[in-house]
Amino acid sequence: MIEKREALAKMFSAKGSKINTNRGAEYYDSLMQTMTKRLAELEQTPAASKASIESVLEAEGLTRRDFMKWASAACAALMLPSNFTPLIAQAAVLMNRVPVIWIELQDCAGNSEAILRSDAPTIDELILETISLEFNETLMAAAGHAAEAHLEEAMHTFKGKYLCVVEGAIPLAMNGLYGTMGAKAETYKDHLIRVAKDSAAVVAVGTCATFGGVPAASPNPTGAVGVQDVVKGKAIINIPACPANPANITGTILHFVLTGQVPELDHLNRPKFAFGYRIHDNCERRAHFDAGEFVEEWGDKGAQNNFCLYKMGCKGPMTFNNCSIVRYNSGTNWPIGAGHGCIGCSEPQFWDKYAQERPMSDTHFKAPTGGVEKTVDQFGLGLITAAGIGIGIHAVASLVAAKKEGDE
Amino acid sequence: MSYKKIKRMTAVMRINHWVVALSMIVAVVTGLYIGHPYYQSFIADPAVDKYVMAWNRLAHFLVAIIFDVSSVVVAYLYFFSRFEKPYKKLLPTGKNMAEFVAVLVNLLTLNRVKQFDSSHADSFNAVFFFVFHMLLAWMLFTGLQLYVHGLGSGLSSIGAWWPAILHLTTDWTVGVSGGTYMDVRISHHYSMYAIIAWAIFHVYYQIWRTIFWKEGDINIVVGGNKFVEEK
Ligand code: HEM
Ligand code: SF4
Repeated sequence: MIEKREALAKMFSAKGSKINTNRGAEYYDSLMQTMTKRLAELEQTPAASKASIESVLEAEGLTRRDFMKWASAACAALMLPSNFTPLIAQAAVLMNRVPVIWIELQDCAGNSEAILRSDAPTIDELILETISLEFNETLMAAAGHAAEAHLEEAMHTFKGKYLCVVEGAIPLAMNGLYGTMGAKAETYKDHLIRVAKDSAAVVAVGTCATFGGVPAASPNPTGAVGVQDVVKGKAIINIPACPANPANITGTILHFVLTGQVPELDHLNRPKFAFGYRIHDNCERRAHFDAGEFVEEWGDKGAQNNFCLYKMGCKGPMTFNNCSIVRYNSGTNWPIGAGHGCIGCSEPQFWDKYAQERPMSDTHFKAPTGGVEKTVDQFGLGLITAAGIGIGIHAVASLVAAKKEGDE
Repeated sequence: MSYKKIKRMTAVMRINHWVVALSMIVAVVTGLYIGHPYYQSFIADPAVDKYVMAWNRLAHFLVAIIFDVSSVVVAYLYFFSRFEKPYKKLLPTGKNMAEFVAVLVNLLTLNRVKQFDSSHADSFNAVFFFVFHMLLAWMLFTGLQLYVHGLGSGLSSIGAWWPAILHLTTDWTVGVSGGTYMDVRISHHYSMYAIIAWAIFHVYYQIWRTIFWKEGDINIVVGGNKFVEEK
């Protein structure tokens, strides 16, 4: 019976459906060997950046103990058994061996800001500081020709080794002229393709880079699209959200450092360790959802009692992300914790389809007939009314006609 | 004038009809609650013993399963019914199209013109019900797609095969309805209105036929028979 069931399960294990958190001792032993070997090799290579995690931690007044606590949490987040913790710690130390070229396209730099601007940075954020950031327009001092020369040099030196991190959408309308870069006015599209070409992998950070995000919102005047619509034939990892959670960026880069490979991805190329579950599945307000207890108005009794935000437009039931577990700013809080519903920022087309402060059925979408925006319910009731009027006319006409016939 | 009694539906078919009708009402009532909770639960009650949303969802999924089973029955009847097999009336042959037009003309001329055999299910009927079954199938696939989102772990109480099979059979609805999970939901909601409009017309048409054809059509789903004038 059990065998049969397992055979059936195997047969139907569609990609994208299953997160296997226990793959058996054999798998983990061999994974451990691969990782150990990879880290030993990395250790031999010269540090590409002078920053080391020790010095950064010290500057922030964090101890080795804090660091190890972080390492065990990161280990769990990556869904690895706890005996991988020392490897994670070692990988974090070796983060400065991995060259990263971070390019900035059509966006608000919000992902960079999320990582850099907190006054009490988390260890996730600090680790991102130690990566060898070879190029980043937002951060570096160089500008103009000097910056371009710097990019050329980094791409040449680390050919095939660097991670290409992309922030921002790519405008394609008007031959891409909505966004150009440098003295030669290279379009964002050409820039991205050029930098991505010699990279080891491409990491699209934030929803603009993954799915076009806010720039791609209707009517999308610049023809904005995500990285995966432009770059072909490369490993692409999508880390959406607005902004992407630094924990998920670090997790993905850590995974790359540890294995030299991209983590397991879902059908939208999002790492499963972060985007495997819905917000709704781990939400602290879920009991109130099931009980039918909803916030009806901002600041009402329900809001004071932390009721579910579904009727205020929470899109947690349709949104895959780990905010409800990882939260933001050292786990301080997250949108739903602070009293606002989820706006689905890690899903494709979130601005048009998710980010409204009302349930889907009350939201103004383009009606299927085009033209004026209507709520789904308005359109539906219109349809039923039309059917009712048609029937009414037909009924009366039938009766009148029958009566006439009867009279004759 | 003498009338001939004609058997149109077996007891099983009639039960199926009313089960579907009842399921639909429950699906609409609970579905609208799920989409936008339109009544409040008693806030003074502690959350431990009331699960208003959960109960609505339970009822919604239960009638969904009943729908499922009844659809399989109907699909079977399409090909193996003891009466006229509906698929034969669906094929776009010249005869079927002529009959379809004749019935439509009957409806549009307010029963002034009636040039077809009304003793058995006609092509117009077959097409009309086919539309309904397609809408129902769409509800099933989109509904099951919405449902599998909650099984992110790839596991379920009845085994991993269940979410896997759901992904396999319903993931296509995402692309077809517009590319995002929200589109599936929007489409599920719109289709509900299409089904309601269909049902309103269906009920009207049956009553209209009963009154004007004078053949007792409404009894098909009650006693199983209708009557046709003997020529
Ligand atoms: C005539 C049949 C049906 C009707 C009229 C109907 C109606 C609805 C409506 C109005 C919604 C709310 C959508 C929204 O505004 O967000 C809904 C949600 C839903 N329906 Fe149906 N539905 C039907 C059949 C089904 C079937 C066959 C299934 C299959 C399991 C299903 C599963 C669902 C699910 C999973 C949801 C989302 C609930 C949630 O996220 O908790 N429905 N339905
Ligand atoms: S607040 Fe949002 S995510 Fe949380 S239970 Fe309610 S609907 Fe679900």
